[in-house]
Amino acid sequence: MKPEYGENFSGRESLNWFASWWTAWTAFWFTPSNPFLLSVLRIFVGSLLAWSNFVWLLDQEGFFGLSGWQSAGNVWRLNDQPWHWSWYFPAQTLLATKSLTAVSLLASISLSVGLLTRPAACIALAGYVSAVNRAPLNTFGFDDVLGIMLVPLIIGTAGARLSVDSIFWKKQSAPNTETTIALRLIQVHLCILYFFSGCGKLLGASWWEGTALWGAVANIQYRTIDLTFLAWHPLLINALTLGTLFWEVSYSALIWPRLTRPLVLAMAVFVHLGIGLTMGMMEFGIAMLIANMAFLPLDLNTLQTHTD
Amino acid sequence: MIKEQQATENPTVRRGWPLAVRLFASAGILLYLLAIALPPLAGPPPASELANVILQPFRPLVGAMSLSHGYRFFAPNPGPGHSIRWTMVTAGGYDLKGIIPDTETDWPRLLYHRRFMIPEKIAALVPPPLAPAEIRREATRDWQPFAEDIATHLLTKHNGQEVTLELVEHYLPDTFELKEGRGGDDLITPLGSYAWRKKASQ
Repeated sequence: MKPEYGENFSGRESLNWFASWWTAWTAFWFTPSNPFLLSVLRIFVGSLLAWSNFVWLLDQEGFFGLSGWQSAGNVWRLNDQPWHWSWYFPAQTLLATKSLTAVSLLASISLSVGLLTRPAACIALAGYVSAVNRAPLNTFGFDDVLGIMLVPLIIGTAGARLSVDSIFWKKQSAPNTETTIALRLIQVHLCILYFFSGCGKLLGASWWEGTALWGAVANIQYRTIDLTFLAWHPLLINALTLGTLFWEVSYSALIWPRLTRPLVLAMAVFVHLGIGLTMGMMEFGIAMLIANMAFLPLDLNTLQTHTD
Repeated sequence: MIKEQQATENPTVRRGWPLAVRLFASAGILLYLLAIALPPLAGPPPASELANVILQPFRPLVGAMSLSHGYRFFAPNPGPGHSIRWTMVTAGGYDLKGIIPDTETDWPRLLYHRRFMIPEKIAALVPPPLAPAEIRREATRDWQPFAEDIATHLLTKHNGQEVTLELVEHYLPDTFELKEGRGGDDLITPLGSYAWRKKASQ
């Protein structure tokens, strides 16, 4: 019996549909990329992580000591034990915690200059995870963003360019799939971050009313530049608040098309530099901008390029 | 065929991965994507039970790589800032006082922010002083262990005998109040007094 046209059509179409998905997925994740951009990200992330480790060193007793701001025995109250491991848990002396942070600092510097890049990135990741899992009372968005970029730096050939490694291993500077996966992971993770950050804001009345930005401006503990003159410009506060909200909520959709990507990235520069300069969270602002750099250059790594 | 030859002959472009490797890598990528997308879906509240159920098998991976972030920056509303004010009697009988964070001494700014997170995270656990007694009593179980740790840290650092902690919620004026030069009082919540114990020096 001859199959009905509809039956035949749907079966073949379904198969084609799955094949299209696989083709798009493969193009998105497995088309080789030039490692230059990832190498630039490596330099910035390594430097920021080194700075973060240096600051951890400034209050070792408080952050990781036995009588710290949060004792090791109480860490479970803020994170999920036993899975949130840390090499600081067994450290019983100040010398031990300082040594471990120093190892983390050296690994970060090594990552930044691209010396034994992959092992350095692994140790830097271990040091990062150990610090944030031991001192969850002292972490904030800056730490979250650093974490986004460390795993991809291990996966990709982040030491292929602009590094000490590249002097000895020239072969790894060729376009490769590991680098694409690394950049894609940063891009997708950033989309997840903005999506949930935007959705979280949608729960708050002040974001809908367009007054949320005032809450940040009037908070003296964040303030490094006084913007309270905005009290005389309520419509500007509305515009800035709603602009930020719309940008965050739509980021994960509008960052991909070539036409809107430059606008979305320009807004990222405005928002994150603004937060950095006016709220004293420069490290957080810079870390967010570095993560956003994964979407550069504007004409690369888009699905359209591959399907063209 | 021609493309394959080009890829083989051209040393500047590495050959693509074989199908089996791409399938294996795809599974790893999907696993990682779930591990980064599920934590913000599962918390902080409000969050669905479903997200929490699906997250369960991912807890080892999420914990091991510290991926459990909620990403709710300044959400749902940017609220007032908090500090912890402390007064202490030292072992030598002197009075000391301080504040966490301290804009004067906590420098560089990243150190200030790391310490600023202490009152901010504790404030999320402490109900306002006018909340019903039952709620305040129950909440004590959540925040008191943190207050004890902070007290222990301060007593150890300054060789203290007894320390008293207060959570200060800084008044956040609205635009009208600021324009009229009006303001409100900071909200003070006592976090208790703590004496030096043997544990403090361990």
